[in-house]
Amino acid sequence: MTSLVIARNVSKSFGDVRAVDNVSFEIEKGKIMGLIGPNGAGKTTLLKAVLGLTDCDGELSVLGLDPFKQRKQLMQNICFIADVAVLPRWMRVNQLLDFVESTHPNFDRRRAEDLLSRTKIRKKSKVRELSKGMVTQLHLSIITAIDAKLLVLDEPTLGLDIIFRKEFYGNLLNDYFDGERTILITTHQVEEIENLMTDIMFINNGRILLDTPMESLAGTYVELLAAGDNAAAAKGFGPISEREVFGKSVFLFEGVSRDKLDGLGELHTPSVADVFVAKVKGAEA
Amino acid sequence: MIGHQLALLQRELWEHRSIYVTPAAIASVVLVLTLTGQVTVSAFGEGVDMAIVGASNVDDVHRRMALGGILGFVTSIFALGALIVTIFYCLDTLYAERKDKSILFWRSLPITDAETVISKLITAILVIPLVALIAAIATQLLVLMLSSIWVIIQGGNAGHLIWASAPLADMWISSLIVALAMPLWLSPFIGWFLFVSAYTKRSPLLLAFLPIFIVPMLEAMLPGRSHLLFNAIFVRTFKVPLFNVDEFSWFGDDMRFSMAEETISMLGSLDLTKFLGSPSLWAGLIVCGLFTTAAIYVRRYRDESY
Repeated sequence: MTSLVIARNVSKSFGDVRAVDNVSFEIEKGKIMGLIGPNGAGKTTLLKAVLGLTDCDGELSVLGLDPFKQRKQLMQNICFIADVAVLPRWMRVNQLLDFVESTHPNFDRRRAEDLLSRTKIRKKSKVRELSKGMVTQLHLSIITAIDAKLLVLDEPTLGLDIIFRKEFYGNLLNDYFDGERTILITTHQVEEIENLMTDIMFINNGRILLDTPMESLAGTYVELLAAGDNAAAAKGFGPISEREVFGKSVFLFEGVSRDKLDGLGELHTPSVADVFVAKVKGAEA
Repeated sequence: MIGHQLALLQRELWEHRSIYVTPAAIASVVLVLTLTGQVTVSAFGEGVDMAIVGASNVDDVHRRMALGGILGFVTSIFALGALIVTIFYCLDTLYAERKDKSILFWRSLPITDAETVISKLITAILVIPLVALIAAIATQLLVLMLSSIWVIIQGGNAGHLIWASAPLADMWISSLIVALAMPLWLSPFIGWFLFVSAYTKRSPLLLAFLPIFIVPMLEAMLPGRSHLLFNAIFVRTFKVPLFNVDEFSWFGDDMRFSMAEETISMLGSLDLTKFLGSPSLWAGLIVCGLFTTAAIYVRRYRDESY
């Protein structure tokens, strides 16, 4: 496997604040990496460093390039959607297509037009006349038509309604992702990308708390619903979090095998969100 | 590289419609005024007849001067319009993209910041003046055509009175030279405005003009009372070596009526050698280059837009 992004001891400070604190990770080709973290965790700073929008300390290589110094070459093979509605509002859809076509060597206009024909977006419309959801649809259509190696999405569905959000991720998987392309995505709505991600990375206070493939998440983490004596016994196995639901205790274990916990209560595979909350609270405790 | 530049220039025209809407608006006003004037004048039948007879009797030099004056006046309105458009364009172009965050989209494409900022400089220095010039020439032709129709209706000889008398070639060539040269002369301001536009977080207009007035004032209050910046900003701006000032001063005094034909040509009042040989021009271009570089640098390296 080849790694498209390699970060070694990457740090970025703003004054006294270490937004990214000595972070190391790799993203392999063909993966969909979810970067999860609370507000101010350093997600955006890390993405900016990957996109060459900010410099950083340490070693960072993206597609074999130094992202800050070799931005132009990098942008031929990276696409990003920073937030909803960054498309210029005064522009018409066909002007946008014209412009991208003449500036991006890897843009396939017919593919973009084909994708757009499936939506209600008309080519004569100005971006400002489109709804937030349609702007995101438009942006995704353009990006899907660019043959890029890495797609970076920073809160791509922020402020969209549930229908557009579902559609966005549906299109992302069906039209964009082909197993060859790689996606790095951040979002607050973890549950929506839970089934999409192949890998997951938690970040808080500029540090990585967890970096693991999704399939090993179920093996490492287990949730136990127990009551009474069983709950007391469960505590003996050192849960990383504990909460009360309807008089029963819900424990989350890390690296404790299911066999040991079997018989103490109901076992579940925890949601990413639960693991995330437990890890963040655990790190802060 | 050139493909990118053309796409970027095209984009500036899409975004800043005032570049061609303003000249088009000026053209419509000039044409409407021309028509209204002709209709109004037509009400005075006898006076019109006398005017046409008078115009036919006046010698070629004076007729040529009168027409040249009208055409020159039309051109100067367009030049003023272009100046105002340029100021607002420069102040807006690198500011608006940060304000509406579209800079993130532009920067997601494989275009360098230098290419982008240079496209904006070219728009200010070349595109805006040339669009205005083309509009001015088209308007001059339309005004002359309307006047011809009017003269013909009034029984005059338009071919002789208008087309043979209008100093069109002289007017157009000299206008082209002025349209190319003046932006270069004013380029330090263009560079400064672009830099302010890329740099400021709010009110670019205020930030651009305040130092222009305050800095020379402070300079004059400092011990030594130097006027270096005052001269660089104000005296230089109005003393353009392109124009042959001596000949210009003839206008308005009686002597102009005795001038020979070649001296009343606009072209004759331009001095390209003096202009291109002026150290002020080249110093200005260097200042423009420095500010433009600073604008590129700010757009490239400042990390606050996202």
